Amino acid sequence: MEVDEHVKLVPIANVGRIMKQILPPTAKISKEAKETIQECASEFIGFVTGEASDKCHKENRRTVNGDDICWALSSLGFDNYAEAMLRYLYKLREFERQRANQTKGSNDEDTDHEAASESENQDITTT
Amino acid sequence: MRQAGAYSGILSGRISKTGPHSLPLARIKKIMKKSSDDVKMISGEAPIIFSKACELFIEELTKRAWIMTMQGKRRTLNKEDVASAVIATDIFDFLVNLVTESNVADNKCEVNEDSQVIVEI
Repeated sequence: MEVDEHVKLVPIANVGRIMKQILPPTAKISKEAKETIQECASEFIGFVTGEASDKCHKENRRTVNGDDICWALSSLGFDNYAEAMLRYLYKLREFERQRANQTKGSNDEDTDHEAASESENQDITTT
Repeated sequence: MRQAGAYSGILSGRISKTGPHSLPLARIKKIMKKSSDDVKMISGEAPIIFSKACELFIEELTKRAWIMTMQGKRRTLNKEDVASAVIATDIFDFLVNLVTESNVADNKCEVNEDSQVIVEI
């Protein structure tokens, strides 16, 4: 894993897990391939963020938000990601709205289907 | 291949702000901040979006690299397969320097004195 203070990378364990999930079970991955994709993923984040940040700068806005990221993805040619992320962003904001309503005192069980599906979430966070 | 799975995961509402994501949000935020001096403030949702977008990116790059592995009739995905996938994909142009700077001796691709990437087929 990169120890250079100037270069931040996404954790290689996470990268490896995502790669494994998409490949056939008998596939092997070289350590160097994982490291290369780790660097590429980190570069991807920087590249898209730069584009989003430029837009905010031009529009005199100080905060880069989810819409800016989606716009940047589309602008840089990642149209399929942009589409999927806009839907994800919509659901995320819906989720946040419902959560905010819940903490205001309305404990409607019907709106808890998002929370219920959380327990089915197979993603594991490693830091 | 798994693309449908990733999207249906998103659409089925498998979202949690505080729960697990594929990539750690704090690290994503650090990478975003370091990308440019212009980046001053980042909304809470931006790293969450990136966690998913980055997962899609890694999946796509991996799938494309694996095609190269199979073309070489191998079962181990190596660095050169990743480089070949990057070079073969227009939207991955921003990664060409990253995957070729240490690959000058590689027999699949090299960079000549005009910084042009030459790919051997």
